[in-house]
Amino acid sequence: MTIHNLYIFDRNGILVYYGEWNRKKVPSMSKEEEGKLVYGMIISLRGVIEKVSPLDIKDNSFHYRTSKYKMNFWESPSGVKFVMNTDLNSPNVKELLRSIYTQVYVEYVVKNPLCVQGEFINSELFAQKLDEVIKASLSYTSRTV
Amino acid sequence: MAVQPQPFSGAEELPLELLHGELVCSEVLLSKDKDINELLSKLEFIGFSTGYRLIERLLKESPRFKDELETIKFICKDFWTAIYKKQIDNLRTNHQGTYVLQDNSFKFLSRISATKQNLEHGPKFLAYTCGMVRGALANLGIASVVIAEVTTMPTCRFHITITRSV
Repeated sequence: MTIHNLYIFDRNGILVYYGEWNRKKVPSMSKEEEGKLVYGMIISLRGVIEKVSPLDIKDNSFHYRTSKYKMNFWESPSGVKFVMNTDLNSPNVKELLRSIYTQVYVEYVVKNPLCVQGEFINSELFAQKLDEVIKASLSYTSRTV
Repeated sequence: MAVQPQPFSGAEELPLELLHGELVCSEVLLSKDKDINELLSKLEFIGFSTGYRLIERLLKESPRFKDELETIKFICKDFWTAIYKKQIDNLRTNHQGTYVLQDNSFKFLSRISATKQNLEHGPKFLAYTCGMVRGALANLGIASVVIAEVTTMPTCRFHITITRSV
């Protein structure tokens, strides 16, 4: 499984973190603009999914796949949204995003008194721990696949 | 493969951690017009009162300490465990009234940084604990001065200098 990049938005739609591990194409716009674009897209998509859904299920995660990549979305109960682009054969990204939330975001952002809610996350410790979780998940799935 | 999340695991020490974080941030980091030393000594005094009362509660059943070193060892083990759920990692002394307590992953600093980032904010999170140690020793009849230093987060050292003991 290849993880391309990860966006984290807070409940107001502000991009609080962007991590990139494997992005081949150079982005054509700035990080903030891209963040707004992705956020607008997931909010609209989530709205459409709920309205058009033939089943009465309210889920906090969905994904879409193109012929080249898969975009996964997961939202925490407190409104923190995780958007991760991976390659096509990546199982259990929902679990991965949930574990990123509990093991990295809550531990090193929520519990960090110097991290102000609503601002971009500057903590190097957060970036380091996130990296570790991502690399651990990559090696896990490459062993089992 | 899915791990069920345990509700509220490890949440017993969370209120103290969060409260302390808020105390430091709102008092010290955000009030830029007041003198920072005044605010830090206020924080240290709050710690002093807390430590003073806490040691009374912790020593309900223990016998009197044989000597100063036993007292400091109690601080390193039981006192630290009661508050931070771990013990002091390293204790050094010159046997003449100076003790250095080293904690390799201090509770209040472990979520902030593991490198040199935010090093200047480190000491602010130690003022309360310095006060607690000083208060605990004071109630045991040992007057002391406690200062703390941080070289690399999250490791920190507390220097206790005994001024007079009864």
